[in-house]
Amino acid sequence: MDSEISRILNSLEQGDPAAAGELLPLVYEELRRLATSRMRRESHAQTLQPTALVHEAFLRLIGNENVRWDGKSHFFAAAAEAMRRILIEHARRRNALKRGGDRQQFELNESDGIVTLDNADELLDLDAALTKLAVDEPELAKLVELRYFAGLSVEEAAEVMAISPRTVKRHWAYARVWLARAMDAEPDNLP
Amino acid sequence: MIPRNEKSIFFEALEIEGPEQRDAFVRRACDQDQSLYQSVTDLLHRHEHTSVCIDKPIVGEIRSNGLMDETLDQGMPIPSSYRFTPGTVIGNYKLRELIGEGGFGLVFVADQQDPVKRRVALKLVKPGMESHEVLTRFEAERQALAMMDHPNIARVFDAGATETGQPYFVMELVRGVPLTTFCDKNRLSMRERLDLLIKICHAILHAHQKGIIHRDLKPNNVLVTLQDGEPLPKVIDFGVAKAIGQRLTADTIYTRFASMVGTPAYMSPEQAEMTNAGVDTRSDIYALGVLMYELLTGAPPLSSDRLQTVGFDELRRMIREEEPVRPSKRVSTLDQNVRSTVSMVRRTESNRLESVLRGDLDWIAMKALEKNRERRYATAAELADDLTRYLNGNPVAARPPTWTYRLSRYAKRNKVTIVTTAIVAVALLVGTAVSLWQASVATVQRDRATAALDTARQSEKRAIEARQDLAGFVERLKLANSFLATGRAHVDAGRLADAVTAYNAAIEVQPRFYQAWSERGVFYASLGLWEQAAEDYAKSVELGGVSNQPDFLGVPQLHWMVGNHTVYQGINAKLSTLEKDQFAVEARGRLIGPIDPETATELVTFAEEQLTLAGYEDQGKVPEPPQGYVVRRRRSGPPLGAKLYVAGWAHLRAGQFAQAIARLKQADQETFDWRGSGISTPLIAIAYEGLGDHQQAMETLRAADETMAGFLVQAESRSDFIPNMPWFDWVEFLVNYQNAGVQVGKRSSDWLSQRWDGRLQPLKSEAMSAIANSKKR
Repeated sequence: MDSEISRILNSLEQGDPAAAGELLPLVYEELRRLATSRMRRESHAQTLQPTALVHEAFLRLIGNENVRWDGKSHFFAAAAEAMRRILIEHARRRNALKRGGDRQQFELNESDGIVTLDNADELLDLDAALTKLAVDEPELAKLVELRYFAGLSVEEAAEVMAISPRTVKRHWAYARVWLARAMDAEPDNLP
Repeated sequence: MIPRNEKSIFFEALEIEGPEQRDAFVRRACDQDQSLYQSVTDLLHRHEHTSVCIDKPIVGEIRSNGLMDETLDQGMPIPSSYRFTPGTVIGNYKLRELIGEGGFGLVFVADQQDPVKRRVALKLVKPGMESHEVLTRFEAERQALAMMDHPNIARVFDAGATETGQPYFVMELVRGVPLTTFCDKNRLSMRERLDLLIKICHAILHAHQKGIIHRDLKPNNVLVTLQDGEPLPKVIDFGVAKAIGQRLTADTIYTRFASMVGTPAYMSPEQAEMTNAGVDTRSDIYALGVLMYELLTGAPPLSSDRLQTVGFDELRRMIREEEPVRPSKRVSTLDQNVRSTVSMVRRTESNRLESVLRGDLDWIAMKALEKNRERRYATAAELADDLTRYLNGNPVAARPPTWTYRLSRYAKRNKVTIVTTAIVAVALLVGTAVSLWQASVATVQRDRATAALDTARQSEKRAIEARQDLAGFVERLKLANSFLATGRAHVDAGRLADAVTAYNAAIEVQPRFYQAWSERGVFYASLGLWEQAAEDYAKSVELGGVSNQPDFLGVPQLHWMVGNHTVYQGINAKLSTLEKDQFAVEARGRLIGPIDPETATELVTFAEEQLTLAGYEDQGKVPEPPQGYVVRRRRSGPPLGAKLYVAGWAHLRAGQFAQAIARLKQADQETFDWRGSGISTPLIAIAYEGLGDHQQAMETLRAADETMAGFLVQAESRSDFIPNMPWFDWVEFLVNYQNAGVQVGKRSSDWLSQRWDGRLQPLKSEAMSAIANSKKR
């Protein structure tokens, strides 16, 4: 098992905030690697469930370790953020490809899994709206990341964020309509 | 900026039920601020009426970048759920939201329009999953459900097929919450919990009497609703036909993965054993025992937390060997906080918890949880009876034998004997003659009745056996699939020996499952272990595993190369009967062996069509690469290089040498998204020879020698022991290279092994020891 991960989670538990910065790239790499190896093994296009990847990454990186919920919280927070980055990156790249922008420069290589999304534009809009939400309501934005990009349930998200499930539900209700409004609005009129 | 109070007003407004009251509140709260009022109202309106993209879990499609992609289809497959979206009408039913998705089925909430309007659950086979096996299992599940008629089991109302041919069935929509959640939320007392459990026992008994085993009984599969104020449990998801038999995809791996994490806590030792011994009704008794344990103590004997932190083998060992702690002992060792929660939701005083459980309830739970199924309750009825006895204050059967207990049993037995004797005596006294006459009539009738009854019993027995066979088969298939998933995970992680162990286990569990053989086959082939691969694939082919899907690419060539010509012919014959939608599999398989000119010409036509679609002009003359083809190259499945190569090869086999050379040379230029560059060289040599240009042919053959040496250098530096290309490209190169040597260079019929075995064999040995070695980590 990955001692690097447990070392980081331990430092986090002992209150070293700098360790969080080390966690993200590790989780990010693991998720990318998993997505890529999926791609290499399947000759067909496959439906990919990012949340399943997150859970698999969890088992691979932490599964056998005795990590308390504290540690798990950090993991899922990092995984949600990593998954968001990966998907956005792919959505951007896909849009760039669609517009033919950097086609000539874009060399495929073996480690490039391409995640296409039903609606890359929608995802990019969501990302933009989420970034705006994070300015005033970072906790709400984090909740959306956890639930949407890491697929956590209400209870799990409550545990990660150390708030009650009831609060999670209320926050979620507000965040979703806030995002809907932001995504509907013209870019200039965003609140 | 978010207005200062918008969020808090929104939160408070959410709690208010009626629209008018809510509006009045918002007006008041916003005071005179009109724009605040509008924004809150807007949000509340959206809350009720708008769907937002984050409501659905995010799903992406993972798409091969074309390097491994050899399909000839156009574009990408449509995700399976797309054809059925909310609003779609199927027969009398209008689909609403998707509430469940398994490996092969989708479950929707639906509105029935006619003859009655009601809300139902509609389960259908996923488009694209309609293999014979899946359909059989789907039908088995429907029949299993239809056979049952019990208030605590979800009912089947209807069945049919969609316009596109997906079978579906319609069942009762159960709107309940999982058993344990219900009990804790409603603070059910111990007695109320046991009452619920007795109802569940009766539902399971009903299923068992119909020959159906649930196999996956857990709180999430027992939903509880309130009916007239009474809790009503409903057992759902009878797993007879559940999610098995389909081809493995990333999707199913995840499903399997999830179910592995979720279910082991309720899995009986014999299920964890994973032998062919099979699972019977007593596995459900065990699961009922786990449910009971959880209802009593708040957690299953083996907690999910613990099970999730151990590896697969350790997990199986725990289930098979670890004796559960008695419920009373378990609660006595609970952490103080947990203990007070556990007792509070059971309306039991914290310090009485242990004494309530000690004794009878301990014994009942432990008897249901016996590792040896012979020692469990034989039926769900026995368990229910014992629970009833406990609730009525009577002695339970599960108590260990004590002398008082034995004495009571003895008395009971004697009482029966005495009564029987008395009845016989009375009958004898009352008129022997009458009895004798009646007896003779009765005997004749009884004989007839008995004969009919025997027949009926026998056919019932056969039916039950057949169903259990099927069920056992399904169970082993599930198991095999999970081994295959494990195998793949090990391959991903580069643990070759562990992978092969998992593949072996899959085959051992379900030797009649072609997928297991072909997965191990492709595993061997990807390491260049041709003989082992061919052996496994031959077995898979024998079991009916011939397919024209991309995962079968290279299998005919493999058999041709190792000299299994009979298998090779068999595959070709089978492939020719399949749809032509994935023609590359058949085309490349045919090109490698003996071929008549007509077939070769057909293949040329086909291959050139594919090139036309990719932007190349169709041609009778020597082809030129078109302008601007870059733009169109990514449109369809296989890399352009592979298409050119297949076309050139087909021209060659059809005797069109000039076109062959042109196409093959173009293929060699295609390094953009194709790794097969270089494998065309031997074919080019043969084509020159065909044109009569022997000198050019010899030069090209020597170039092929160089290419071979280059490929070997690659293979020797790689961890999969073959050059950087799909294994079937490598197979084709080896065969064509040998042929070129014979036809162009007049080399002997086994020159290739004479010349290159010095480097090919070590690669195989290394692959073999890689498989053997990592085992002992």
